Amino acid sequence: MSDIRHSLLRRDALSAAKEVLYHLDIYFSSQLQNTAVPVVDKGTIELVEEFIFHVPKDRNVQPKRMNSLQELQLLEIMCSYFQEQSKDAVRQIIFSALFSPQGNKADDNRMAMLGKLVSMAVAVCRVPILECAASWLQRSHAIYCVRLAKVLVDDYCSLVPGSVQTLQQIFSASPRFCCQFITAVTALYDLSSEDLIPPFDLLEMVVTWIFDDPRLTLITFLNTPISANLPLGCLDLTPLLGLVRWCVKSPLAYKRNIKPSLSNGHMGKLPREMPDSEGGDRDSKPLYSKLHLSVLQVLMMLQAHLTEKNLFGRLGLLLFENVAQLVEELARLVSELNPLNATKETELSLDRLAQALQVAMAAGALLCAREDLRSLCSRLPHNNLLQLVMSGPVQQPPHSPYQPGFYPHIHTPPLGYPPRPASAAHSTLPTHTAHPAHNTHSPHPTQTFLPGMNFPYRPIR
Amino acid sequence: MSAVFDGAPLTAMQSPQPSHNSISPQELALEIKAFISGVDQTQGRKLSIRDHARCAVRLLRTVPACRGAALEHLRGVYDEYVITFLQDLEGEGDNGVNSSGHSGLEDVIQEIHTVLSEFVRLNPKAWAPLVSAWAVDLLGQLSSKHAGRRGAPHSSSLNELLQLWMSCTATRSLMESYSQCLAAMLAWCPDACVDALLDTSVQHSPHFDWVVAHIGSSFPGTIISRVLACGLKDFCTHGYQGAGSPEMPNQQAPPPAEKSNRVPKIGSVVGILGHLASRHSDSIKKELLRMFQESLCPAQPPSGIGQRDSPLQLRRATVPFLLQLAALSPTLLGAVSAELVESLRPPVLLQLQAQFQGLPREELDNMLGLAVHLISQSPAGGPCVLRFLVDTATPASVIMSGLTPAPHEGVREACDRLLQLLLLHLHKLVYNRPESDDGYPLSSSSPTSSSFPPRVIPFLEELRGHVRELCAETLKLERKRHLWLHQLLCLLSVYGGASVATEALCQLLTLAKTPEELALASQLHTPLSTSLPGLLPAAVTCCVAQIHTQSLGSKELGQLLNNLASTVQSQEEEGKGGSAGGMSAAQSSMAAQVGAAVSSHLHDFCPLLLHGDPAVSQAAARLLSCSQLPRAASPAQLLVISRAAVAHFFLALRLRDEGNGKAGGGGREAVSCSIRLLSRLAAFSPLTLKSVLQQLVEGALHRGHADLFGGQQEETGGDTSLTPDLGASLLDINCKFGTTVNFAGSVWSVFHAGVIGKGLKPPHTPSQPAPDRVTENQQTLFAVVVQCCSSSGSGINSSNGAASSSSARYHHSDALFEEPAPINAEAAKVVAVTLVECICPDVANGELAWPPEEHARTTVERDIHIRRCFEGNPVLFHLLSVVAAGRPALCYCSAVLRGLLATLLAHWESSRELAALDSPWHLQASCLLVSCMGEGQLLPPVLSNVHEIFPHLTPFEVRLLLLAVWEYMRGNSPMPQKFTFSAEKGLFYRDFTRDGDLSRYLAPLYSVLHKNIDRLGHLSWRFQL
Repeated sequence: MSDIRHSLLRRDALSAAKEVLYHLDIYFSSQLQNTAVPVVDKGTIELVEEFIFHVPKDRNVQPKRMNSLQELQLLEIMCSYFQEQSKDAVRQIIFSALFSPQGNKADDNRMAMLGKLVSMAVAVCRVPILECAASWLQRSHAIYCVRLAKVLVDDYCSLVPGSVQTLQQIFSASPRFCCQFITAVTALYDLSSEDLIPPFDLLEMVVTWIFDDPRLTLITFLNTPISANLPLGCLDLTPLLGLVRWCVKSPLAYKRNIKPSLSNGHMGKLPREMPDSEGGDRDSKPLYSKLHLSVLQVLMMLQAHLTEKNLFGRLGLLLFENVAQLVEELARLVSELNPLNATKETELSLDRLAQALQVAMAAGALLCAREDLRSLCSRLPHNNLLQLVMSGPVQQPPHSPYQPGFYPHIHTPPLGYPPRPASAAHSTLPTHTAHPAHNTHSPHPTQTFLPGMNFPYRPIR
Repeated sequence: MSAVFDGAPLTAMQSPQPSHNSISPQELALEIKAFISGVDQTQGRKLSIRDHARCAVRLLRTVPACRGAALEHLRGVYDEYVITFLQDLEGEGDNGVNSSGHSGLEDVIQEIHTVLSEFVRLNPKAWAPLVSAWAVDLLGQLSSKHAGRRGAPHSSSLNELLQLWMSCTATRSLMESYSQCLAAMLAWCPDACVDALLDTSVQHSPHFDWVVAHIGSSFPGTIISRVLACGLKDFCTHGYQGAGSPEMPNQQAPPPAEKSNRVPKIGSVVGILGHLASRHSDSIKKELLRMFQESLCPAQPPSGIGQRDSPLQLRRATVPFLLQLAALSPTLLGAVSAELVESLRPPVLLQLQAQFQGLPREELDNMLGLAVHLISQSPAGGPCVLRFLVDTATPASVIMSGLTPAPHEGVREACDRLLQLLLLHLHKLVYNRPESDDGYPLSSSSPTSSSFPPRVIPFLEELRGHVRELCAETLKLERKRHLWLHQLLCLLSVYGGASVATEALCQLLTLAKTPEELALASQLHTPLSTSLPGLLPAAVTCCVAQIHTQSLGSKELGQLLNNLASTVQSQEEEGKGGSAGGMSAAQSSMAAQVGAAVSSHLHDFCPLLLHGDPAVSQAAARLLSCSQLPRAASPAQLLVISRAAVAHFFLALRLRDEGNGKAGGGGREAVSCSIRLLSRLAAFSPLTLKSVLQQLVEGALHRGHADLFGGQQEETGGDTSLTPDLGASLLDINCKFGTTVNFAGSVWSVFHAGVIGKGLKPPHTPSQPAPDRVTENQQTLFAVVVQCCSSSGSGINSSNGAASSSSARYHHSDALFEEPAPINAEAAKVVAVTLVECICPDVANGELAWPPEEHARTTVERDIHIRRCFEGNPVLFHLLSVVAAGRPALCYCSAVLRGLLATLLAHWESSRELAALDSPWHLQASCLLVSCMGEGQLLPPVLSNVHEIFPHLTPFEVRLLLLAVWEYMRGNSPMPQKFTFSAEKGLFYRDFTRDGDLSRYLAPLYSVLHKNIDRLGHLSWRFQL
């Protein structure tokens, strides 16, 4: 290893980097011949860090830096290499040797390079790299994933106008990458502050992806063997929690961000205009609405997949702690906003929360006792639908098989509870579920459903 | 912002989409390859610079990952363009051939610019930092890389540089991009962009200045405040190591970057502000002052751009920072100093003091040193600063508690210290000027030292124009301040050389009001006298020049003259005091020098004797009276002086008369001065003696002055102010009467009683002054004439040495009437001749011998005129007596005496009164006449005594006796030859024994005596032979 290093020291930065790549290729190819699971040893990583990410190993050696042009050349070489390397295993091992975070000071350069590489791969549509990146996103700690997502979002959604199309086309090239990307993006933009509201382009893209194919969100879940030992702190298996958070928090978060300008006396005009650039004059509300529908559809779908995998009731894709955290955030957001000014938004948020909880529980994505949920949601302001969900009529036995007749009141007129066939309900759900529920419990003027009908459930005060 | 996003972005964002969509990922990959290799991948040929650049732009638009590389590549394109541009320029300069190539990069540059500006416009938050950093770095690189080229002007000529680079498309577009970014970024992160600017500026120091200047003038307000804020922060964090080094004052220009390892930002701050100062000095000034004021108000949080990180530290650093800034840039110093001083009101000072109380002593010393250095170097506002310092440092007193509250004691002490340091510093500067190689630092005459100019001290340079104010301020003698100011004045004089010193001295002499204040002048002169030889004469010349230009008010003029006189007199007092003299040698030498200088300018002062303001004329008289007449004076000057002196004498008399009622002191003083002056003049030379006496007599007899001496103002023939002009003309009359009219006597006779046909003249009622005043005036005149006449003797005899001693005697003893010296005959003769000329010009130089009494009938009219003259001017008798005392001068008055006697004879002959006492004037005249003639030894002693019995006689008897006098005169003509000089008495005497028998003239006397023996018995012994 050291003789390689010495020979590399004499070269210039670019050719040394190339040489390292070459060396890695040979090294891992030969290793793969021998063992099924090659290990990335320390020497290799040091070599990579010194000659590709230019972190000086010892103080007296002046690190050679590449300029942007050389860097681009290197990126291009990498792109070609990953494209042309036919063996998936070699690709994977080299990718991870190059880009697995080591928790040292090389990580900054490493992440920068990775960001550029993935960004470039997106631009020139290098599927192998995207696949590798998807795996990387699955393995790496969330903070690194978030950083990569941030680079991509910056590149494609804010820096180069119009380039979001390029990113959008990745959907067809590497759905797996898209799924991980969505997970990372929802982890990044958690709506907790103004900066963390997803740019409009991104939101639109994500909604389009999911709306076009809701199964996209489950790809990682479906393609990954469920093992108990997921790496610590890595991203969720599905972006579902993040998406639910987007849907639930968005009305209030957007409301919060325009509130300061509201007090300036532009009452009539400004609610439609966001003060920041993303989504500025474009209304993101329908997108969230659409997204909410998609999320509910995915949850509904999930039931079948869980059952299929025989995981129903055993694997909660939405963890209760995460939901508790979401409720916490929501409660804080509500109290932060003046409730008088944001009644509409609060109502909408709580409605969405109630729906998501209900469906998630029904689909087996959320495993928890209703009592826990009830105590959790007691901090939230009153909401009829939430109330209804909390005081649900039926306690589902934990291990009972699927009983489709349990929730007809959500999507059927509340006249009675005619048991419906599960298959029928299942197939019609995508078109039926959301809208009636939405219309029934939100004070929209478009409500035409049984206006004079007596509501059979009294709200508990 | 909202306007930008209303509609434009939509179209803009959609516009690239078609082109973008048309490129497939494969094409993009090819494009990247092409960009990297510089070879067209499909056709296999090399890309031109244009195409390569276009390729980069395309990548910039489509592949975000290539951003860095593309921008880097574009740097090369810009560089290429600049090279071509400069080559063209040089080619033009060389042979006038314009290649006009520009290699077609112009449109590419344009394209790049469009793309970048679109990016920045669409998403300023993301793009502006990127593009601005890139642009500013590239600009710095370009401008320093091509700085040495032939086509580029030298970096010192900022304007040319600016012109060159702004005419270059590449740099201009970069500049525009940068401006755009800056405009966008100022809203949310102004610090970052200015920091970058400053860093680049430091890196490419002189060559980059044009960028900063341009940016600065585009965003003056922001750039100035940001630049200052950055500088302050840097200054604060990196401490004061370079700041305020105490040895700085000794260096001409403090090196801004002593330590090479870290270039302080303050250098570039100064540079940038220096560039902006030409156009935006107002904003800079405002900004600096705002900084200063903000640093002082801890109560309110800093408005606007918050420097909240460590406000206290920042605030503390502000003042040192500002001082440092000012020290590095004279422009800034000039811009802010005046306003800064203005703003230093007591509360502000208190705050300042509070703020600096916590600083370590070293730092404070540094700051003081810096402040002193700044003050001494500041080109403008010096007087303001000085006034402020002096005002603040002056200890408060009960007396001068003005409107402004007394400053805090600590503040005052600080100011005091500052002031003293300033003086010390100036002292060092003044005396260590690099001219002193020959030991005479100030002698401008030394030819070797004039080869290199002395160092300029702006503070003193500016104060040169304010010498007058300084002097005035110094003369207020307020507690400590006059000491400071006096010291400063000394320094200023030494610094400014002869001209300033002269002016200062001149001002002090002019403005001093009291002896104490005048003492300041000599105190100033003492240290300067060694270095500036001709100082005092120059100062006096300067004063004279002031007089000539009439730039002084009468009050100041009087002060000046008085001061000069006091100075000169101090010398005389010393001479008088002798051993008791408490004066320093320096002072006396000053007095002597002033005396000499004044003497040489005496004729310049004499017009002031007739100045309208009595105070001035008196002061002039005082000065003239105590200074010596120059030996070299020309007759003309002497005559002028004497004429003025005499005129002043009469003015003074009149003034005394007028002022007697109120406060006569001034007038009296003036008269005594005048007398001194006249006697001194008279003693000076025969010429002046003659002139003075002549003038005195003529003046005394002048119609205008007649009333002073109790005379009636004669018929005011020419006095048209009193009588309305009747249209009468002497010429007309003369033409009419031709030669038939008898002009004997005077032409005035024609108008005796008025113009014929116009009725009687309106009776003239002269305003008769009080008799005691008249007497006083007469006596004064008498005294003056006597003094002049008697002093002349010694003046003539011992022309040189005795003059001063005699004058000195008059001054200190004031012995006007003590022991009259013998009247000089020559002087008396002058008086006599003048008298005759004045009384009756017809008889001047006439026959001295007396005709028979009957002949008097032919001269009746002339005699009447003479008598009228005597009637009108009682003082004539006094003058006559003077003449009589100076024997044999009375001989020359013979004709006048004869005329008077003839009229008296006629009067007594025609008088039908019982006693001579009944016509008092005639009696008195007769007595005086005879006694005068006796005194003048025209009559022998016995005959001259006859006037003693006149009052007891009848008119007829008086006539008899007067006739006897006449007879004697006829028999013994009054000839000067009959007198002989007696050396032991110093007088002429006439030996009457040679004149034959007297007794025949005494017969009428004896018969009268006999007739009235009952009443005259007791007097008969007077007439024994």
